[in-house]
Amino acid sequence: MSLVRFLPTPSDRMGIIWSLLAVQGAIVLEYGPAGTTHYSMGLYGGLGLRFQNRLFTTHMSEDDVVMGDVTRLEEALVELDKNYAPKVIFVVASSVTAVIGTDIKGVCRYMQNEVKAKLVAFEQGGFRGDYSVGLAETYKLLVRNLPQKGVAQEKGVYNIIGASAWRYRMASDIWEVKSLLSEALGLSCNACLCCDTSVEELQAMGKAQVNIVLGNEGLAAAQYLEEKFGTPYVYAAPYGYSGTVRFLESVGEAIGEMPQPLVLMRLRMKEKGMSMLSMFAMMGGGKTKQAVVKGDYDLVQGVSAFLEQAGISVVHKICAHSLKAIAEPAADVESYAEEGEWLQLIRGLHATLIFADDVALTQADASNMKVLISAPFMNGVVATHLPFMGEKGADFLLEQIQGYYQK
Amino acid sequence: MGIKEEAMWKMAEKMGMPKSAIEAIKAKQKQGGKTAMPDMGKMMSMMKAMKGDKQDEMRKMAERMGMPPQAVGMDGNELLGRLNRLSRVQTIKDVPQLTTALFPGTHCPLMGAAMIAGGIDDCLLVIVGTDECSYYTKSLTINERYGGIGGRCVSVVLDSHDVTFGSTESMHKAFAEIVEEYQPKCVMLVTTCVIEVIGDDYDAIAEELTRKYQLPVMAVHTEHFKCEDHFPGFERALTACQRIMQPQEGDGSVNVLGQRMGNFADTELHRLLAEAGVKIGVQLPSGCTTEEIRRAPAAKVNIVVHDIALPLAQAMQEQYGIPYVYFNRFAAPEKVLQAYQHLFNYLELPLPAEVDAMLAACKEQEEQLRPLVQGVPYIYGNTQYDCFELNSYLCSLGLVPQLIQSNHLREDNFADIQSILAHADPYICKAANIAPLQYVYDVLHPWFYMGHEFGDRLRAKGIALLHSDPAGKMLGFECSSFLLQAVAKAVSAAKKFREEAGL
Repeated sequence: MSLVRFLPTPSDRMGIIWSLLAVQGAIVLEYGPAGTTHYSMGLYGGLGLRFQNRLFTTHMSEDDVVMGDVTRLEEALVELDKNYAPKVIFVVASSVTAVIGTDIKGVCRYMQNEVKAKLVAFEQGGFRGDYSVGLAETYKLLVRNLPQKGVAQEKGVYNIIGASAWRYRMASDIWEVKSLLSEALGLSCNACLCCDTSVEELQAMGKAQVNIVLGNEGLAAAQYLEEKFGTPYVYAAPYGYSGTVRFLESVGEAIGEMPQPLVLMRLRMKEKGMSMLSMFAMMGGGKTKQAVVKGDYDLVQGVSAFLEQAGISVVHKICAHSLKAIAEPAADVESYAEEGEWLQLIRGLHATLIFADDVALTQADASNMKVLISAPFMNGVVATHLPFMGEKGADFLLEQIQGYYQK
Repeated sequence: MGIKEEAMWKMAEKMGMPKSAIEAIKAKQKQGGKTAMPDMGKMMSMMKAMKGDKQDEMRKMAERMGMPPQAVGMDGNELLGRLNRLSRVQTIKDVPQLTTALFPGTHCPLMGAAMIAGGIDDCLLVIVGTDECSYYTKSLTINERYGGIGGRCVSVVLDSHDVTFGSTESMHKAFAEIVEEYQPKCVMLVTTCVIEVIGDDYDAIAEELTRKYQLPVMAVHTEHFKCEDHFPGFERALTACQRIMQPQEGDGSVNVLGQRMGNFADTELHRLLAEAGVKIGVQLPSGCTTEEIRRAPAAKVNIVVHDIALPLAQAMQEQYGIPYVYFNRFAAPEKVLQAYQHLFNYLELPLPAEVDAMLAACKEQEEQLRPLVQGVPYIYGNTQYDCFELNSYLCSLGLVPQLIQSNHLREDNFADIQSILAHADPYICKAANIAPLQYVYDVLHPWFYMGHEFGDRLRAKGIALLHSDPAGKMLGFECSSFLLQAVAKAVSAAKKFREEAGL
């Protein structure tokens, strides 16, 4: 327990709910005090998620807490099943039910006989880690519960795993990834975990030729699908021109196809064009050019690699969440348990190119060049076609880098 | 063509639009012609008119396009069958929820406490709870009132270690940092659900911190599983302010307790007090300082303008002997008159002559309205007025409540309840669950809905919307007058909307 001056890192439970709300055809039922659900609408609305008639709460009374009475949960399940006929009801614990130890899985097990919808229980109440842990758990539970067996594989189809609605401009990134894969390999996306997808798409995940993992939290889910359905996976987040080339080549390799040479050539040409940056560096009189990147693990890694390719030394790679859910994290990626530590670091920066979230950017002094690239963000409207990933993302990042050189 | 647009065309085809027509429009679009997409509203109406499998298919398609899922199995009569009648209610436990699964559900008392802290300019708000509670509260307070992103709302976030071993030690450590960094004048230490479940004694912790740092530290408990909505948060945060107060020499002033919205200086009550030369003391929580709260016991009378301040006023009466006048936003002009009489009696001042004139004006408004509203049915959601006092008044005018939503029921509400029951016996349920209400409208066909709803959605069902938010900034006969005007307007609109809806 420590002092948090700004916004705390979202919990596992928050990550679970924003992921589940991206699944159309399903309902999310929170078993806990109603105030949390009502309070959460601001966040989920800001992430572009639709919750009307899709997010419900049971509320809880003192009797429920003291006596462990789950009647409300049972009644709510029957009621939602009858009233909305969803394919799936995700039952999510609250901090209170997690502390008192309500057996939500057990309730779902016996209530499954009473309802038509498939019941999937999430017992995390916010104490098992931050949102990255919640994302990993969500992807795992979804792929274990929803994909149907016996779905024939279809040529040219892929799934995305590890697309979190929390990431700033995630919809833009998904749009860019889909466009690139369509143009370079003629592929089309089935399910996207978890950004604007549906129960039907999740059920049909087995038809994919390849699973594309954009976030480390999705690795375990992809490995499970490989085991269960024999679907290979590619773990790569396409940041920068060469990162995007590698991404396309890896996906191509997994499905036995060559990406369109013209696309690769275009990306490589742009990469070559980056050599002009050395001219800016020389004009800068040999002053040290340095950057700091703060955000989700894969964004930090990908953007840092691009910056270093552009001749900028990344002095701090700050992961905004814990590294607990990250398989084999890189040694140079920092993660701070206490807000005070990263605050001190950011406040001490001068003349640095900072790619970070809105809170961190407000704490850096004006001598720095600041670029909003991660959550939390304060703007109410988020672009859906201005990515950080892929070719267009690299174009944008390069503009920022050039601006920094010229500053 | 976007996925949504494609889905829209598919939907149009399913509804019977000829494929050739769709192709022709698409071709025209390709050549730069103006779009001729089917209208979304019309499609929704057509969809509702469909039967069986076809309707199911359309519903799925609508969801893919981002429309909310429809409650296919909800039945208004069945919902009403679950409810109690007002005559059968003895305590709040007898007031059922319209459905067990709620959306959006009520606000949290934590939010209530945070809003009170927002009105005390130099009060630091410290949330003790989960990341989630802290995140939402901080988000709520990122505005000028609280000092922006780096402003006076911070949190001490619980982890699993605190849940197992208690949070006292960590709290002391965090508080030392808080004092050093923020140098607060007073601190509202707001605990949330989990703290109450694990049983950490924050009253004792607040005492210790007060002694150690020589500044008022007020523990405010906001566990939502022990209450219905955010009002206990208001109430407890206000009551906690008593800890800041210190005995004072009387200065003949009046304190205004419980005004959350608007500026007291803009109210009718303020004008009459100013004209009578009455000094205004602390206005809690509508913009005051710790120092002003400290001096609050100098007042001659406390004016309680909302129930949330009653416990504080009662505590001040007990400790400092300051009487209070209950001066809520009354609907009935007679109640306003009574409140003015009590107030000026306590102040030992003559009742301003204008009071009679204002009463007469309201009575005249009443008489004009009365013939227009006889037998007009309505549903009560929530307003700025006291729920039962307002409904009792509307019944006395001849209106008929069909359903009353309330999260509160006190012993002293029963006089108004009896008065309502003399005219009607409406259904009663808890508030903040608007999704299933849509199906109740189809059974009850009220003329207007009082509270927060979507006007267009209501209009399509022949119902007018009456919301009373502006009254939150009023006090006195202006509240009665506003209500009478709003009812007249709603009844007039309802006539038109009912005609449009074929009712």
